[in-house]
Amino acid sequence: MKIFLTLHRFYSLFSDLAEIWGSYPFREIIERARKGVDAMYPADALKPSIMLLKGANIYKHPTRYATLDELLLLPPAFTPLRLKKMSELLREPVFTDVDLRHSLGGFNVMMPVMVASMGSVHVANKISLEIARGAARMGIPMGIGENVATMWGYSKRVKSGQPCFKERVMTYLENLDGDVGGVTIQQSVEDAYNELWNRVYSDPDIEPFIQKGLIGFEIKVGQGSKPGLGGEVRLSREEAERLMDKYHLSEDPRSAVRDRVERHSAPGTFLPEILRGMIRMMRNNYPRCRIWVKLGPFRDLPEVLDVLTSEGVDAVWIDGREGGTGMSPYASMRHLGLPLIAALCSISRQLESRVGSTSFIVSGRLYDGGHLVKCLCLGLDGVAFGRPVAVSAWIAGSRGVENYLKTVELEAKMLISALGKYRVRDLSREDLGCLDRDIAESLGVRYVYS
Amino acid sequence: METEVSVELQRLAEVLRQSWKQVRTPKMKAILKVQDVACDAMRRYLKSKGFIELLPPIIGPVTDPGIRGAKQATIDYYGREYKVMSSAILYKQVAVSGLGKIFFMSPNVRLEPIDSALTGRHLVEFVQLDLEIAEASYFDAMAVAEQLLSEAVNAVRDTCQKELELLGRQLPTIKPPFKKLTYDETIEYLRMRGVKVRYGVEIPWDAEQLLSKLIGEPFFVIDYPRGARGFYDREDERRPGILRDFDLIYPEGYGECASGAEREYRYEKVLERMKETGEDPRKYGWYLEMLREGIPPSAGFGIGVERLTRYLCGLDFVWEARLCPKLAGIYSP
Repeated sequence: MKIFLTLHRFYSLFSDLAEIWGSYPFREIIERARKGVDAMYPADALKPSIMLLKGANIYKHPTRYATLDELLLLPPAFTPLRLKKMSELLREPVFTDVDLRHSLGGFNVMMPVMVASMGSVHVANKISLEIARGAARMGIPMGIGENVATMWGYSKRVKSGQPCFKERVMTYLENLDGDVGGVTIQQSVEDAYNELWNRVYSDPDIEPFIQKGLIGFEIKVGQGSKPGLGGEVRLSREEAERLMDKYHLSEDPRSAVRDRVERHSAPGTFLPEILRGMIRMMRNNYPRCRIWVKLGPFRDLPEVLDVLTSEGVDAVWIDGREGGTGMSPYASMRHLGLPLIAALCSISRQLESRVGSTSFIVSGRLYDGGHLVKCLCLGLDGVAFGRPVAVSAWIAGSRGVENYLKTVELEAKMLISALGKYRVRDLSREDLGCLDRDIAESLGVRYVYS
Repeated sequence: METEVSVELQRLAEVLRQSWKQVRTPKMKAILKVQDVACDAMRRYLKSKGFIELLPPIIGPVTDPGIRGAKQATIDYYGREYKVMSSAILYKQVAVSGLGKIFFMSPNVRLEPIDSALTGRHLVEFVQLDLEIAEASYFDAMAVAEQLLSEAVNAVRDTCQKELELLGRQLPTIKPPFKKLTYDETIEYLRMRGVKVRYGVEIPWDAEQLLSKLIGEPFFVIDYPRGARGFYDREDERRPGILRDFDLIYPEGYGECASGAEREYRYEKVLERMKETGEDPRKYGWYLEMLREGIPPSAGFGIGVERLTRYLCGLDFVWEARLCPKLAGIYSP
C-alpha cells in the first residue's frame, strides 16, 4: 500500500511538472535563449541524416489542418470501364493491367510522379546521384533545385563529398531508358549571375538531350513551407567566404563567431507582367526546353494560374505548406501559407475546367499510391515526392529509391483498378468522397455522410 | 550518341580545322574585298552625318544579356569575373550621354547553343556596326539603318563588279524607305500561309527566312511584344506590352540584317524589366548607378558585318564571310 502511495506522489509531481512544461513553450524559449539565431532552424548541418528527419517536426500537430486524408477513394460495384478493358484483353482485368504511363509537363513518364527539385542543402546534394539513378531507372522526371551550381560547382566539384551540378544532370540523363523522363532545372537570382540556364543550353554534353526534348527549365516563384522566402542554407565559414560575392549572408563569415552562417537567397520579385515577360523570354531563349513553374501555397494562386495557363507553360507545380521543409525556419513552417488541400480548394475552378496543355502537379507530405490517385482524381496530372525519395536514398541508395517508387506504382495500380478504371485519364472526382462537408463542397466531391 | 546533327557538325569541323587555307582562295579574297568596301561605305556615310567612331570596349563586369539563349564568355580578371562583350549596348548608352551620335565596329563573342552551328547564320565571334543616337526615336534609327544598307549595296555594286562576277552574285537595287510590318501583322502574315508561330517570342529563324524570301525586298518588323527582347528595349507607354523596337530583314531568304530599338533609360523601369529576365540587379551595379543619375533617351541598332557580307556576296553560310570563323562547339583556328 505504501509503495502505491509513494508512486502516486511521484506520478502527481511528475504530472504537474509535465503539465506546467507542456502548458507553455519553455523548451523552445530556452533553446532560443541558449543558441540565439541557431535555434530558428530545425536543421543541424553537422548531422545531415538527422536533419532529414527534423524538418518533419511540423507534423507534430497533424490535426491542426486537414490533409488529403480527409479524402477517400470510393469504388463502385458497376464498372463499365472494366468491361471495356476486358474486351480489349479477352480476359478479366487485374490491377497490374492499369497503365500509369502519362505525359507530365511535356515529358513522357512511366507514372505521373516526379522527384521534387532538391537544391543545394548539404543533405540533399550528398545523396543526389543515388536519387538521380533511381528516378531515371523508374522513368520519372526529376527536378534540380536552385543554387546547386553556384554552391557546389557547375562541372567540377568544389568539395569532394558533394556532387556538382552537372554530375546530377548527367547521372540522371545517362540512366534513362529511352525517351521517357526528363530533368527540370531551377535558376535562382544568384545562379542567374553565372547564367546557369544559358550554360546548360549551350553545353555540348547536354545538347543531345535538349534535342530529344528531355530538358526543362523551372521558374521558382515559391516553395511550400516558406512561400515568400528564398532558399536558406547554413554554411561553414569557409564555404561562406567562397560565396560572399554572390549571396546575402547572415553575417560576415570572416568575422563570424559562430561556426556556421546562414546563406539567404532572394525570393524573387513578381508581378503578373513580370511573370508573363519571364515566360516569354524563356520561350524565346530556350525554344527547345520545357518551361515549368513552381509555386508556393500563395493566397493568390487562382490569379497566378490564370497567367501561367494563358502563357501556356508546360507545367505548374504547386507545393503545399507541408512541402519543402528541408531547410525552413520554424517560424515559416508554423505560420506561412495554405495547406495543400486548401490550395487545391482555391484552384478548384481551374482544375474543373482545364484549358490548354499545361500540366498541374502538386506536392507536400505526399508519400504513397493513395495520395497519387486522389490527386489524379481531382484533375491534377501528377505529384512530386521529395522527402520520401531522399529518405529512401539515405537508407538504401538508388535501389532504395527504386524500391520505394515501385511500392507507390503498385499501390496506385491497385487503387485505380479498384475504382474500375485502367487509365490515368479516366479518373475523376466521382471516384472521391470527403469526410468534411466544407472541403467536399469546395472541391466538388461527394460528402461521404450525405 | 551519333545523330544526323552530330555527323553534320563533324563535317563542318573538318572544313573549319583548315580555315587558315581559305584566305588564299580567289573566292575568299573576293568576299573580304566586298566586306572592306561595304564597311568603308558605311563609315563614310555615318561620318558625313556627324557620327563619331569610338574604339569598342571588349570586356567589362557585365554585357548584353539579351542574346537568345547564348552564353556569355567569362574571363578571370585578377581573381574576379569579367564578361567578353556579347554586344556593346550598355556602353553605347554610356557614350551617347556625352557624344550624341556614335558608332563602334564592335567585336562580339556569344557562346551560342550547339544547334546554331548548322543554321548558316550564327557565328560565335563576329563584328557589329553598332550605333546609337541620343534623343532619337526608333523611326530615326530605322531611317539611318535603311540608308546605311543602301549605301553599302550601292558602293559594292559600283566598285566590286569583278568580285561579284566571280561570286556569281547579282545585287538587286534597293530603295528606301523600306516597308514596315508590325510584329502582329507579321505573325498574321505567317499564319495565313500555314506557318505555325507562337505569339510573344521572336520570330523563329525558319519563319524569318521564309518571310525574307516571300517579301522580296528589305523590310522592317517593328513593335515586338514585351518579353521577346532584352530589358533595354523601351516599352511604348501608350501601348503597354509593345516595345518600340525593330528588326531589319534582308530579302532573298538571308534573314535578319539589323536589330534595334529606342532604349529604356529610366532606372525604375529597367529594374522591373530586369526581373523578367531573371537578372540579378547587383551584377549591373555601375549601369544602374549611371541610370539613376540620369542619361538621355536614345535609339540605335547593330548591323552584323558578316551577315551583311553574306547578303552582299550571296553566300550560303555566314561563316564563309569571316577569316577563321568560330562556330558553336567547334574548336578551330
